[in-house]
Amino acid sequence: MHLHKRRGLSRARLWGVGVLAASTLALSGCAAASGTSSAANSAPLKIGISLSLTGDFSSSGKAAQRGYQLWAEVANKSGGILGRKVQLDIVDDASSPDQVVTNYTNLITQTKVDIVFGPFSSLLTVPASRVASRYGYSFIEPAGGGPSVFDQKLNNLFFVQPAESTRGGDVFANYILSLPAGQRPKTAAYAKLDDPFSAPIADNIQKRFEAAGIKTVYDQTYPSETADMTPIVAGIAAAKPDVVIGGTQEGDAFAQIKAMIQLKFNPKWLYEANGSNSPGDFPAAVSLANTAGVFGSIDWYADSTISGSAKFISDYIAKFGGDANQIDPTSAEAYSAGMLLQEVAAKTGKVDNATIIKTLHAGTWPTLVGNLSWDATGKPKGEYLLVQWINGKLQTVYPAKTAQASPIAPKPNWAG
Amino acid sequence: MHALIQAIILGILTGGVYALMASGQTLIFGIMKVVNLAQGAFVVLGAYLTYTLFVQFGMDPFASVLITTPLMFLVGVGLQWALIRPLHSDDVAQLSLLVTFALALGVEGILSFAYSTTLTNIQPKYANFSWTVVGYQVNLVRFCAFALSLVVLAVLYLVLKRTKFGRAVRATVQNPMSAQLLGVNAQRVSALGFGLGAATAASAGSVFGMLNAFNPGSHYDLISRLLTVVVLGGLGSIGGSVVAALVMGVASSVVSAMASPIWSDFTFFIVLLLVLLLRPRGLFGARTRGAL
Repeated sequence: MHLHKRRGLSRARLWGVGVLAASTLALSGCAAASGTSSAANSAPLKIGISLSLTGDFSSSGKAAQRGYQLWAEVANKSGGILGRKVQLDIVDDASSPDQVVTNYTNLITQTKVDIVFGPFSSLLTVPASRVASRYGYSFIEPAGGGPSVFDQKLNNLFFVQPAESTRGGDVFANYILSLPAGQRPKTAAYAKLDDPFSAPIADNIQKRFEAAGIKTVYDQTYPSETADMTPIVAGIAAAKPDVVIGGTQEGDAFAQIKAMIQLKFNPKWLYEANGSNSPGDFPAAVSLANTAGVFGSIDWYADSTISGSAKFISDYIAKFGGDANQIDPTSAEAYSAGMLLQEVAAKTGKVDNATIIKTLHAGTWPTLVGNLSWDATGKPKGEYLLVQWINGKLQTVYPAKTAQASPIAPKPNWAG
Repeated sequence: MHALIQAIILGILTGGVYALMASGQTLIFGIMKVVNLAQGAFVVLGAYLTYTLFVQFGMDPFASVLITTPLMFLVGVGLQWALIRPLHSDDVAQLSLLVTFALALGVEGILSFAYSTTLTNIQPKYANFSWTVVGYQVNLVRFCAFALSLVVLAVLYLVLKRTKFGRAVRATVQNPMSAQLLGVNAQRVSALGFGLGAATAASAGSVFGMLNAFNPGSHYDLISRLLTVVVLGGLGSIGGSVVAALVMGVASSVVSAMASPIWSDFTFFIVLLLVLLLRPRGLFGARTRGAL
């Protein structure tokens, strides 16, 4: 009897312990799944990021790493987020879409990070954001802005740039079409890199120009392995366009401009989707004297007048050295991802994933790349800045409310 | 018509640079029956050496050829001695593909580590200068690159035709066994031949770096072009590779300017396909194989 009673007590205790353990496990599981931090918590806020530190995207991946690291350091100096020290857990995906899935799955399920930020490139952002969505994590990402990212229609995703990547040239079209009809170009040439992020920028400009009556006199797409742009530019020069639109990445943009200089072909307006917006690389590739009058579009650059930019630059140089013009915009975009997290925490007093997703879908959020807001798929609703090389400097010329200078047209002659 | 002639001028000048690269490739094949998949990587290595001499020491890229070429010759000799020579002679053609591909990847990895993967180019002050000749633009760098190619090819021709080493090379190409029986040291000829191939890549790399932006991965595109040039010209024929490089340069340039850049390289491959169907040994494969 005694023994039986003892047995009975033991069973009750066992049940109690079991229920308690199950409850604890369930609660901790929920906490891990949602990355909650609602309870008073002094544990570090763990942020997991997979970046391309090796492989094809390694240069940009390292630039993003510098941006994230700088933001974490600055945030920690000011007391962390809601009193919690920011702890970055950055792992290398070797620019591989397979590895990035493994990395985010491990970060969420094994390392049990509280928050995840995005990798570099749309190629990696698409599979990574699906992993984050599956586990209920928010996905603030600075470098995946292609259509494939937003076609997923994920509500946990927020792209930290002013607009989707393929709308980068819309601001140039806006500027040209804002000119009085008599001052607009009559003819246009389009030379497009066969790449999902480059050609669509020129395509979008072309649609609007053609609708406005600007005649297309040259329209060609070239493969990515085209090293020598001179024959293509010879074809463009023969068509005598007023405006040339380069749907480019960096290398082919430089090659296009070098070919124009060599062939002494100088259009009245020249816009390059990428390449001409690089304050350091562009003058180094074509010489500073040849930059005059070339247009590009960008979200952040060293002379950006956006609030917080100057402090970002001084902190960056203090930590990594170099000069302001060497800072890759990807670093500012990654830094801005962290800024968004801080702003959500400051506004709501929480940093759990559900709160981040709900909060960012409402309102407008200041970052180094402008005031951001998103549609339901994470597509930003803003526009890029139109920049032009004037007096050896990249300057914002459109839209007028953010302009540092008036646009120069026609473009000055090449210096040679 | 203006655009067509301009495109032909551009094509000839560009083709000259590819001729220089391909001559080394075909020389190595002629002597050793080694398809050197690292030739593109040697060109990129030559471009980076020139870049370093230009940026660090302010050395003119054309003048730097005097340093990069002998340096790469020694590197080529060393690599042949270390990597190609130990291969069993019966399997050298197949095994060398793997070895030279590994070599290309190794060079790419080291360059990526040393210089990063960002695109670079060599930008002397005169890089974009052009002469206007009867309304057509002739770029100084392209013209000098073409001239340099002719000079290096002429030196190569004289070495092969007029020197004892050249006779040994040609004898080895024609009949390695007989050459050895007559006292030609085949190992030495192979090492020096590989060195010469690397040296031509270095000199081509110097001008390639001025004409194009490049990064460590640029060798993939280069090697595909070089292989098609040497196959079109006839494996082992230097003269054939020069003609094929000029054909490729002009065909690519004209189609790119007059039709579409998308069809530019494809047109060359159609020409290659037709030549291989009608004349499988390439344009000059049989007739000049023995004479290089």
